[in-house]
Amino acid sequence: MCDSCGCHIADDEKNTRIVDVHESLLAANTKQANENKHHFESMGAVAINLISSPGSGKTTLLEHTIQRLRNEFKIAVIEGDIETERDADRIRKQGAPAVQITTGGACHLDARLVHKGLHQLQHESEMEKFDIIFIENVGNLVCPATFDLGEHERIVLISVPEGSDKPAKYPKAFTSSQGFLITKVDLLPYFDFSLEEAESEALKLNPKLKILELSSTTEKGFEDWLDYLRQLVEK
Amino acid sequence: MHEFSLAQGLFNQLLQLADTHQAEKIVIVRVEIGRLSGIVVDSFSFGFEILARENELTRTAILDITVIEPDYSCLDCRTVYTPTKGDEGHCPQCGSAGYALTGGDDLILTQVEME
Repeated sequence: MCDSCGCHIADDEKNTRIVDVHESLLAANTKQANENKHHFESMGAVAINLISSPGSGKTTLLEHTIQRLRNEFKIAVIEGDIETERDADRIRKQGAPAVQITTGGACHLDARLVHKGLHQLQHESEMEKFDIIFIENVGNLVCPATFDLGEHERIVLISVPEGSDKPAKYPKAFTSSQGFLITKVDLLPYFDFSLEEAESEALKLNPKLKILELSSTTEKGFEDWLDYLRQLVEK
Repeated sequence: MHEFSLAQGLFNQLLQLADTHQAEKIVIVRVEIGRLSGIVVDSFSFGFEILARENELTRTAILDITVIEPDYSCLDCRTVYTPTKGDEGHCPQCGSAGYALTGGDDLILTQVEME
């Protein structure tokens, strides 16, 4: 458009070009995610991306899961956090290889970071094959939902103290996941948390969602969770 | 918070396109953001503005964003619909509350106008 009067006549003189692009800006991440998926499969592993708010019990769930399954499966964990090695240390104490990715401020893991983590895992553990690789995402119920990491299964966690309104408030985490764990159910008597509300809101967003209720510390509901993992490994 | 890195990705792509087409100035950048993409439109625009200001090529560029709504498809009668405000999640055909969402979850650079 002509700068002085806004007419369109000057267009030709200025040699305006309209270029149709139609490219996804998330495509670079998606491409890397597809490569990650092949990488996981070449290691014989099913990859599970855990997403939730900070403090909903992802690491505690993994500690107890590793304790229960360590004689059955080879498990490794890629830990995402903004800072510190603490979560990876907790996993290593359970005898499973873990690598810590510190994002240095970023609010989510992306496919490129997970790719680096995978190489680090193979290098440090000197193991080539695994049955399950968990990716514990940065504690955040918003941003991780946008980024495919190449996982086979995405599981979202909500703990009882967070409240049963979370599925309705953070829909993308639920529409993009295949599994939904309600954690810390041993605290139900002390909180105003409606299982019915959380589950019906989540199913409204995603009717195919697999929902489990559990407590990692008392291991209530844990058998169903372990069976869910066994089914994923068999797939 | 990831909007800024996505804006950076867009910006890099614009520089490449300008180079390929030997343009001196980016005039309009048209982008589609899905409502379910998890990308905040205002934050994305803000990131773009900051980056655009840094470069002669993009200093006066206009970012034109279209928000794309997902399609709702009724799980009972299979009608595909766009819900009216205030009545989200009820099929206008059969009234069922069960639906599946498709689309509306991407960030797409559709078109660039340059000189």
